[in-house]
Amino acid sequence: MVKRSKENNVVFLITVGLLAWVVPGAGHYMLKEKKRSIIIFATIVLTFLVGLYVGSIGVINPVNAKAWYLAQIMNSPMVAALGHLTATAPEKYRVFGKPNEIGQIYTGIAGLLNLLCVVNAVYLAHLRGREPRNKLRG
Amino acid sequence: MSLMLFFATASITIPEKIGTDPQSILWLLPLAAAIVIVYKATKLPTITLGTFVKETAVLFGSIIIFITIIASALFALAWLISE
Repeated sequence: MVKRSKENNVVFLITVGLLAWVVPGAGHYMLKEKKRSIIIFATIVLTFLVGLYVGSIGVINPVNAKAWYLAQIMNSPMVAALGHLTATAPEKYRVFGKPNEIGQIYTGIAGLLNLLCVVNAVYLAHLRGREPRNKLRG
Repeated sequence: MSLMLFFATASITIPEKIGTDPQSILWLLPLAAAIVIVYKATKLPTITLGTFVKETAVLFGSIIIFITIIASALFALAWLISE
């Protein structure tokens, strides 16, 4: 009985983590933290879009900027579609200099902020999963 | 509608023109604000408008002041070495 409960908890944590990755703030929304989820969604999406506006989708470069791409894909798996688009037609989406730098920094930081939110959502879900058990013990 | 879609697509497929002038460093301000907002959204135990705005403003101000102090120190050091 206890083992099953633990398995359910692990599935719940994975679901929260995946949801938070797919849509920024969705993990917190699932935990009924609506204000937090709205703030997180608006800030991360806006930061990512500012990065794309400044540097164009050419800043998502899975071929020549792998480290930045790793940070950018933390925004959402949907970034992989943009990465595929720029990798298949690199001459169409070339970007250099300052716009490239600023775009990469904005989109990369947005991804790392979402990673922070994913970890935070999973941690909150873990704490809430423990609460009833602690109460039962107490 | 199709014109709006065209402009929306165009805005993310063509990079902006940003020079390497001192003003370009101001791009750090929105980024610092975004970092502060998300950090505080994850750290505050309960979110109310007043507390959230106050906490984010204090942290944002601290970061900007610290960056300004470091930049001034580095500028002074560079000036001393080059003069």
